Amino acid sequence: MKHSNDELIARWRGEPAPLLPLLHALHDRDGYLSDDALRAVAKGLRLPIADLFGTVTFYHHFSRQPPGKAAPRVCDGPVCKHRGTQALLQGLPGATVMPCAGRCDGPVPVLQGDLVRVGSTPDGLAEEPSPLPPPYPGDRGECVFAEIRTHDRATLAGYRSTGGYRALTAARDTMTPNEIIDVITASGLAGRGGAGFPTGRKWKAVAQAPGGPKTIVCNADEGEPGCFKDRALMDHDPHALVEGMAIAALATGATRGFIYLRYEYPQTLVILEDAIAEAQRVGLLDGFDLYVRRGAGAYVCGEETSLLNSLEGKHPFPRNRPPYPVTHGFEDRPTVVNNVETLCAVAPILRHGAAWYRDLGLGDHAGTKVISLSGDVQRPGNYEVPIGLPLRTLLHEWAGGPAPGRTIQAVTMAGLSGGLLGPDALQGTPAVTLDEPCLRARGAFLGAGGIMVFDDTRHMVELAHEAMEFFAHESCGKCFPCRIGTQRLTERLSGGGPVTLDAWTAEVTDIGDAMKATSACGLGTAAPLITDSLLRYFPDQVARHLAGRKA
Amino acid sequence: MTTHTTASTPEARELVLTMDGQEVSFSVGETLYQVSQRLRTEVPTLCYDDRLDPFGGCRLCVVEVEGQRNPVASCTTQALPGMVVHTRSERVERHRKTLLELVVSENPEARIDPLRGHASQELHHLRERYGVTGERMQGRKSGHSRPDDDNPFIARDYDQCISCYRCVRVCAEREGDYAISVKGRGFATQITVEFDGHLRDSACTFCGQCVQTCPTGALADRKALRAEARPEPIVATRSICPYCGVGCSVDLLSKGDRLVGIRPAMDGPANLGALCVKGQFAFDWVQSEDRLTTPLVRGKDGQLHPATWDEALDRAAAGFAKARDEHGQHGTYAIASGRAPHESAYAIQKFIRVSYGSNYIDNCSRA
Repeated sequence: MKHSNDELIARWRGEPAPLLPLLHALHDRDGYLSDDALRAVAKGLRLPIADLFGTVTFYHHFSRQPPGKAAPRVCDGPVCKHRGTQALLQGLPGATVMPCAGRCDGPVPVLQGDLVRVGSTPDGLAEEPSPLPPPYPGDRGECVFAEIRTHDRATLAGYRSTGGYRALTAARDTMTPNEIIDVITASGLAGRGGAGFPTGRKWKAVAQAPGGPKTIVCNADEGEPGCFKDRALMDHDPHALVEGMAIAALATGATRGFIYLRYEYPQTLVILEDAIAEAQRVGLLDGFDLYVRRGAGAYVCGEETSLLNSLEGKHPFPRNRPPYPVTHGFEDRPTVVNNVETLCAVAPILRHGAAWYRDLGLGDHAGTKVISLSGDVQRPGNYEVPIGLPLRTLLHEWAGGPAPGRTIQAVTMAGLSGGLLGPDALQGTPAVTLDEPCLRARGAFLGAGGIMVFDDTRHMVELAHEAMEFFAHESCGKCFPCRIGTQRLTERLSGGGPVTLDAWTAEVTDIGDAMKATSACGLGTAAPLITDSLLRYFPDQVARHLAGRKA
Repeated sequence: MTTHTTASTPEARELVLTMDGQEVSFSVGETLYQVSQRLRTEVPTLCYDDRLDPFGGCRLCVVEVEGQRNPVASCTTQALPGMVVHTRSERVERHRKTLLELVVSENPEARIDPLRGHASQELHHLRERYGVTGERMQGRKSGHSRPDDDNPFIARDYDQCISCYRCVRVCAEREGDYAISVKGRGFATQITVEFDGHLRDSACTFCGQCVQTCPTGALADRKALRAEARPEPIVATRSICPYCGVGCSVDLLSKGDRLVGIRPAMDGPANLGALCVKGQFAFDWVQSEDRLTTPLVRGKDGQLHPATWDEALDRAAAGFAKARDEHGQHGTYAIASGRAPHESAYAIQKFIRVSYGSNYIDNCSRA
């Protein structure tokens, strides 16, 4: 029997962060969000109806009319686009596109209802678990992937069979919060969502911040195209995340936690909720209320302050900083926001020690980073690399290089946010290594660790256009440079803008410079790295693009 | 040179920063933009309204703070002791010009009449100041106007909208109506109301605050625009809204001998730029064809007939006297109309108090 609006509102009204789950409940019930449902929610949660209406339209996956949720959505990320997106769109009635859905290491994902199937033709779609990371090809050792391939890892029993939850128990029984933070600080662990902020320092700031209740938020809104590492971690090792969050709560004095999960991972939602229920049943989470909240399709919600606004049911614009979430986070209380990968590294670090983690990195670099590698390489997948690993080693030795007879023309960094590295960087000396100092010196950055590979058959202006179109689609619209700049750059990469190369380049450069210097959040500052690197590495292709346009 | 010498406590004396080479003291909580305003440094902005919480959307107010890699939005950055701030560096001026080129490029060329609203010339002025011609950064336009919304007060020319959200914020923060919101995102962002409807079906109270804060005239005073074609200059005359007892300051806009519009006074002590629908839009009666131009008295036929002032006053005096004689001094109660001029309101209370010896006098706006 279908629940009424009032029943669903009563179910969620008293819960923390109720808006998204309530909207999902109605969206699930009707397949779309009707005017009536929204009016009831506005009344029930005491929200202005205009605000609620506007906020619902912000999210890509909330439908306002039938067939809505029941219609298929086909990934048109930069990698999938070359593997069958078009065929699927044409073959599936009512299908529309969705931005990269985080399955770049396999066939094209199609989301329909709460089901993700993968395939390259309408008849060939099948539900498949997300791929495990390939067998470890390195010799330095893994941290977050060290146990992920063990049998039944996603169950409590399987997780415990190799020492799972021992770190939490030990931390609870034998360590003070300060001691936990000291270990994490000494390990050199830093934000693996891309910002690279030292985790120990963040935790200390929250532990010392006045006021409460304090909150641990896990950023699982893995929206960056070409990134699918958090999905692998959550699908195959959900208890590692739960344990990491519980330890973060102990260290900071937090009493509640949220996992903010991207909409496109419905199966992951079930896996996480099962894991949390299992851990709660045996008392592992006593004193720490942990909830999963599902996003609704908005890349900018991966930006931590947009995420917090989304969680609070507000319009998901980024907030002005300072104040920072460590003092004014969820509901303006002290809040840790950490990425999945960061939190999954916590328990192994406590068990093996700070020095162990530090030594996993190469040279002066501490620890590891999971790289989601996809595109034109023989063995795509998630690879946990020692920070400082030469990019060439990853591409050619670990992942088997490009297809026979092909050469790698470019790779993206940080999914799309870090721009492109072209032939000069890939072949030149000194070799590019996977660490921020090296990459930043080349105008790129490691970010969340997505690397998409493009061989010599690809048109780089076309790729840049797709990338910019994504940023324009996902720009929240709060700040002028990003809202208008991503649009103007998209137009200039698809035939618009001045005719001469000089005037075209001047406009593209001026827009990019203003975006980098003045945008309000990372989306707007990162997007022009695409055009910067295109002009740097592929000036000939740009000139050909403009010349072809004139003809 | 220290411009502010009010700081006297030891703590306050330390609240000093340097802006464009000038040492300036500030108070806790002040933003760099507020400091710049005190120095009369003309930092440009399009999303700022000093009655609203800083938003940080237009990014035109970015300034350089020594030691920080990127410029910061001065409207959202708190002043801190020892900051060295540059508000007019070549770099920020260049970015401002690019941002203005971008924002100009999203709207079609149009002349924006000042009758549209108080702030309607802001974009135009910045465009002039930075010499933005509209030739660069061309591309698709944003926003869709709503000519279908045929309310008599507010035009919704979103073709001219630049998504600064001042209308959304003034409606929420100042009026508490929450009628206006934002649909979609990115370049497809559209200012709207609930379910994309018309203002009269929404929570809008037609106070006109959104019109007056709009920096491009995208939201416009439809009543004032009726006088757009009149050739005379716009003259503003400060007055007080007569409708209720709050005493909102208004500027009466006239062209020649015609009252053409009303604008809230941003410096009005009682209203700080706020008005309600009556104060903002209800002024047509002033020049209504239906207004009386001669006294009328009722004849034996029961109809009203034009009369001289003497006839009319005699008739009225006789009636008042009769009422007093038959019902006493408290038999008459006067209520002055909110539409009456202040002089008339004064005269009627004087009349009741002196001639009846009574305080039975009130005003319909006293609520």
